[in-house]
Amino acid sequence: MAELSLQHLEKVYDNDVQAVFDFNLDVKDGELIVLVGPSGCGKSTTLRMVAGLEDITHGKMLLNGKDVTKAPAKDRDIAMVFQSYALYGHMTVYENMAFSLTLRKEDPNLIHKKVLAAAEVLDLTEQLNKKPAQLSGGQRQRVAMGRSIVRNPQLFLFDEPLSNLDAKLRSATRREILLLHKRLNATMLYVTHDQTEALTLADRIVCMSMGHVQQIGTPLELYDTPANLFVASFIGLPPMNFIDATVQGDQLITNHFTLTLTPAEKKGLSAYNGKQVVLGVRPENTCVGNDFEMKVLSNENLGMNTLVHGHIGRDGKGERITCKLNGWCNYKAGDVISIGITRKHFFDKESTVAIRMEEEA
Amino acid sequence: MMQDDKQIKLDRMRYTKDKLSANLILVAIALDALYFVSIYQSDVGSYYYNWSIGASVVYNLLFLLISFLASEGVKSRKSGYTVTLLVIGVMQFVRMAYLPTKAHAATVAISGVDVQVMGNGQYCYVMICLALSGICCLAAAIISYTNNQKLAGYLRSVQNETAKG
Repeated sequence: MAELSLQHLEKVYDNDVQAVFDFNLDVKDGELIVLVGPSGCGKSTTLRMVAGLEDITHGKMLLNGKDVTKAPAKDRDIAMVFQSYALYGHMTVYENMAFSLTLRKEDPNLIHKKVLAAAEVLDLTEQLNKKPAQLSGGQRQRVAMGRSIVRNPQLFLFDEPLSNLDAKLRSATRREILLLHKRLNATMLYVTHDQTEALTLADRIVCMSMGHVQQIGTPLELYDTPANLFVASFIGLPPMNFIDATVQGDQLITNHFTLTLTPAEKKGLSAYNGKQVVLGVRPENTCVGNDFEMKVLSNENLGMNTLVHGHIGRDGKGERITCKLNGWCNYKAGDVISIGITRKHFFDKESTVAIRMEEEA
Repeated sequence: MMQDDKQIKLDRMRYTKDKLSANLILVAIALDALYFVSIYQSDVGSYYYNWSIGASVVYNLLFLLISFLASEGVKSRKSGYTVTLLVIGVMQFVRMAYLPTKAHAATVAISGVDVQVMGNGQYCYVMICLALSGICCLAAAIISYTNNQKLAGYLRSVQNETAKG
């Protein structure tokens, strides 16, 4: 398998549009890295540069220490699984999986062994004589993965492989990819815009926006200590609530309520005394309490907990907010409820960068 | 090791197509087409203008259709096409004895001079086309039958081993 190093990677298209800015990443052997971000953030472009399908405008790409920046795609020993599967419709599953090896004119008996082994791993043995049209979406995706596995590449690239699947199948295939990663101990780069996929699959996540890397870290790091407002809003479902506030001594004053800061928070925010900050509160970090009041707009029962949407303030004129409360609640639109905050995040209003408290650091 | 390779080769047949047989039939079709475009090339007026030209055209169409279907069938290792291939293969040899042989032997008087309907060169050419076409069909039938028998035997042995295991 492989270690990958991407150093100051940039992509500028012929029309002078820059898709990726100064991308730096070191991928360890056997690591599963997920590139996540909204559409147009440059994650697929980055993946295509790694695959050799796009030229790298600036920067360096090292695969196992070897500079492959200018190497053509066929010489990189990298396999890519596409969202659209890219299977040959007139070929059987066996032929699709064997195709790349047949092109390389490998020994047919060896190809046979490799295809059967990959089919066994992917639970496709019974489907080998079928054509892609006779398979379900999940099975087709497994065939696409099988086609990569038989090549035994140094690096696997996945470009939104689950986007074409329905929710149930997506979850099942996600588990399969995870098992496959453990079984093969392969180095993988995985692109998705789905944060659930990112959080469940990744050893480390690269969160991107507008071509820039926003944060690189473990799923827990991104969830627990987001680097900036973008990461905080992108990671977590429902997304984090943001409330404008001003720091005054040990008080955090918003338009509709005032909170007393803990000594750690006061210390962390000491440089912001008298200045505006953004208070971030995850819906799951709220409970029935007495930090502020909210006017309910709607109520979504999820079984174990309830999502309550509304506006801050008794008059409902404050910021829009979502709270995830324990148990089954039956609030009606117009109800006013008192909410407590169990964990706060703070962000610099101007730079949008997270303000770290001492306990986090 | 050799035994192992042989087993893998047999096992491969479960998932691969019988391309050799299928391609032989396609060659037979091509040779038949060469025969058909050559057989009526003649300067001797109306020798061929009788009912046999219609029968010949109809049979040729049937041959093309059946052999193409057989090609697709044997590619998927369907045993039923073996007999069909044997029949159309033999029929190519039967055709040799009919239209080309008769035309080669026939003469037509043009301006008081007897002219051979089919010259020696053309006769050899169409006979070779038909013969090779027939041989391809028969070879495809034999290869397909042999492979299918081997595969069936292998699958039986696998089933027996599975039942024992």
